[in-house]
Amino acid sequence: MPVIEAEQLTKRFGKKVLAVDDISFAIEPGTITGVLGPNGAGKTTTLRMILDLVRPTSGSVRILGRRYRDLDAPAMRVGALLDASGFHPGRSGRNALRVIATGARIPAVRVERALELVELEGAAKRAVKGYSTGMRQRLALAAALLGDPDVLILDEPTNGLDPEGMRWLRTFLRAQAEHGRTVLVSSHVLAEVEQTVDDVLIMSEGKLLAQGPIATLTSSAQPVVRVRTPQAEKLEAALRSAGASVTRLGEALAIRGPSAAQVGDVAHAQGLPVHELLTEQPSLEDLFLQIAGTRRGQ
Amino acid sequence: MIHLARAELLKLRSTRTAMGLGIATAVVALVPSILLVALLPIDDLSRDQAATDLIGVSALVPYVLLVFGILGMTNEYRHGTITYTYLATPRRWQVMVVKLAVYALVGMVLMLLTLVAVHLVVLIGGEARGVSMLTFGDLDFVDYARQIVVAGLMTAFGVSLGALFRAQVPTVASVLIWALAVEGIIAAFKPAVGTWLPFVVFAQVTGGRLGGDTGVGLGRPEAFLVSIAYIGIASVAAVYLSMRRDVT
Repeated sequence: MPVIEAEQLTKRFGKKVLAVDDISFAIEPGTITGVLGPNGAGKTTTLRMILDLVRPTSGSVRILGRRYRDLDAPAMRVGALLDASGFHPGRSGRNALRVIATGARIPAVRVERALELVELEGAAKRAVKGYSTGMRQRLALAAALLGDPDVLILDEPTNGLDPEGMRWLRTFLRAQAEHGRTVLVSSHVLAEVEQTVDDVLIMSEGKLLAQGPIATLTSSAQPVVRVRTPQAEKLEAALRSAGASVTRLGEALAIRGPSAAQVGDVAHAQGLPVHELLTEQPSLEDLFLQIAGTRRGQ
Repeated sequence: MIHLARAELLKLRSTRTAMGLGIATAVVALVPSILLVALLPIDDLSRDQAATDLIGVSALVPYVLLVFGILGMTNEYRHGTITYTYLATPRRWQVMVVKLAVYALVGMVLMLLTLVAVHLVVLIGGEARGVSMLTFGDLDFVDYARQIVVAGLMTAFGVSLGALFRAQVPTVASVLIWALAVEGIIAAFKPAVGTWLPFVVFAQVTGGRLGGDTGVGLGRPEAFLVSIAYIGIASVAAVYLSMRRDVT
């Protein structure tokens, strides 16, 4: 049974803003799933609808087989990081967690455990207003872990983290999945989560563009041929006239459509020097641009 | 729902809100009563009504508690803590009902403490100046009970207003202007209308009928019932809106 299941989920704010447009997906247990897309794609609204913070205009979403509000002791089954600034600035980190734990009937001993997990014990007595962005993010993660939940829902958890913090988070998320937890994590920085997630939901402008295992999606995508030449403008024109899709990056071109051999032949036929020619399997970012580009072209 | 009440009390204890509230109450009630007892001429302190008038300074405390109620709710939106509150308790009506009850209770306790403190000031201050202003027979426990209940109702009213309007500064400013100025002006020029306005109604529960025996104002029992109606309507509206609103 999927851990999270959304059916034809739509959210409209007022008459003009369609934040989420008729999306359906299922998240399997024990996986890390990335909800990916640019700012304004509808990722946060989708996560908040899962957690009953935002009411869907139509459609439905169930977590662990029920609506979030119908779960018994929901904070002990689902942990959420939604907004690292969601703490009273005058309250200490420890007290911020104690307030949440008391309201959720989570044993007080879990507060100390959660502080340990995010390595914030040393700063637990300090008021939250004295925390750096990264420390607030860790505190928000501690809040999500308070109930030792089966499911973690994290909205842009890497915001404000330094490279070391990001690496720590990747290792942490992987460990959570290995312990059988299901993790749903959103990000607008695709490369950042590419190394962490198993499955992806790719969103743009409120729509779900693609979903599935990351390896399957990237292997099914068109490879990209990269070529470097001092006469990039001429080669770009020649390739375009041959029907290729070309993106120019200074002296380099990224080409979709023809193979590396065909690109080499075009350059040779035009008498253009080639300094580098290689085929790359597309990254998640390439995949996103391909899918989003195809959508816009329709 | 005891755990929710404990969480609300912990929220109060874990910030400077409680201390700020104590200071505000002291400024509004204790400081004036101390100054008056210390500075008024002996002749004024010897009047029959002197003790009643001095204790009357605590009538402003419910307005401090009204602001306290507004802050208690609007702080949740201002600092975004409402997200965690609703994640822990997604049945939002429970959160609202407990918050209203806890704040009403805290408001009543603070009013009780204020009354005790002001009485002590009058008793000790009077003795220090050689005037016996207060005897046990002067104590009007029914009136104190009314003041304590109204303080609790106004604190809960503040929570409801905070939940309805959410924006902290505009809500506090507009409610205080309305309560302390607009209603008074309306009551002065149109007593028949003014007597039904919420803060005039609260005042009639403790202070008596608006306009004395002119027949315009409400008697204490009627004023009390109308107060309950105001609180009830505001609370139901607050709970209803809290359940329907998106937390974005």
